[in-house]
Amino acid sequence: MKTARFCERKAARRFIKQLLSGCLLLPVAAYAGSSAPTIKLFPTTVLEEIKHTGNVAAEMESGLQSVISQLDEQQKLYIDSKCEGNEGDPGCERIARQLGKSYLEMLNVMADKLPEMETAVNATSSSLEKRIRKELGQKKTSWTLQELLLGTEAGKSAAASQPSLRGRSGMRLSDRFSQYYRLVARSGGKTNSSLAVIASDIYLDMQETSSLIARTREEISRATLMEQLNQSFGTITPEMQEVVAGVKAILFGEELDVIPMAIQPVAPADHGFESALQM
Amino acid sequence: MKAAMKNNLTVLTTVATMSALLAGCSNNPTHATACSLPDGPNLERAISAARFDLETGCEHEFDGYFQRLLTIAEGDPKKENKASFSDFLLWANDAGLLSKAQARQTYNRYFGIKYVSLVSDYSVCAQTCPHQSDVMRDMNRELADKEQGLLKISADRLNYTRASNLYQETELVLEATCEACGPIE
Repeated sequence: MKTARFCERKAARRFIKQLLSGCLLLPVAAYAGSSAPTIKLFPTTVLEEIKHTGNVAAEMESGLQSVISQLDEQQKLYIDSKCEGNEGDPGCERIARQLGKSYLEMLNVMADKLPEMETAVNATSSSLEKRIRKELGQKKTSWTLQELLLGTEAGKSAAASQPSLRGRSGMRLSDRFSQYYRLVARSGGKTNSSLAVIASDIYLDMQETSSLIARTREEISRATLMEQLNQSFGTITPEMQEVVAGVKAILFGEELDVIPMAIQPVAPADHGFESALQM
Repeated sequence: MKAAMKNNLTVLTTVATMSALLAGCSNNPTHATACSLPDGPNLERAISAARFDLETGCEHEFDGYFQRLLTIAEGDPKKENKASFSDFLLWANDAGLLSKAQARQTYNRYFGIKYVSLVSDYSVCAQTCPHQSDVMRDMNRELADKEQGLLKISADRLNYTRASNLYQETELVLEATCEACGPIE
């Protein structure tokens, strides 16, 4: 039972992590809308959907932010009152119940907003899927795709404006999306290679988020029931503390699982030897 | 009389056969020596030796010679090595040892940024996605060859990094694109 509860809270934490960073899609959308990429990966419809997803995520975030602050205060009070190990104490029991209540509130906010979020994410994912299939899957061969990624100046000059990231894992989504913003802003709409990478990254993230939302929705009712039971006993579980700590970490920007990125060296154009055999 | 003539003919045939055999024997040691792979640390000398051998009956050993030259070049990494290998492959093409396409593919496999593993004529959805994992495996092997050619032989860290980044980007974009293309029919 404990393992199951731990897993569902872990899933909830993961979802919140993704969610809170989702609102950072907004600036990407806003900027990309003003540029005119020659490969049409981000037409207005896709940008609108990304923007809408960002708005829904932002709403959910603000809803969660207050309840998380409340949880934070209650947990502090619980610790300051030296309630750990004194679960039988009536005062501590009261704090624990309040904490559980806030936790339930958090689950309710998520349950309330998740369907809209799921629809928005799925719509964005579906639109991006169509664009990627058409622009990269059907219009390109693997050779021309790599030429696109390398940039039109391939082999002739080092493209210092290329994005410096990549890969979907090992980096917090919020960091990644703020990096997307900087990349798109710097490219000025000229770097199709960057747009292809960004579109791929967002699409794969959306796919992952979509399945995570589906799983989270399945788990929420069970988590709610468990917490209602906890309310009757007035206990605060280590798992609950962990969720609260995790959510705090996300909100206050503590580093989680950051893996060093592959960084594109910024170097002058290489005008060295060029073979007659160069492809 | 007839018997004498028959004897003479037998003797002549035997002598001719012996001569042919002896001539064959005298050629064989030269052939074996010529096909010994070049040695020593000097790439230019090794290339000269390889060219001589490949022109004089060792063309079937081309791959072995090429690999040996790569190993020798690793001993003295410098940008100029790229040009040496380019010249060698162009020569191999002129000498009829390699087609132009083979020479180009070999050169780019080791010294180019782009991946010859990605050469294709049809769309990503149609041709690449059905074999996505094979393509990535081939690219990975090619990345190892680029590490040898660009990094260990040519001391060209910048272009090796670009090739390495291209690998990562291609992996990501192919994953997304193949997911978007949908299941293989």
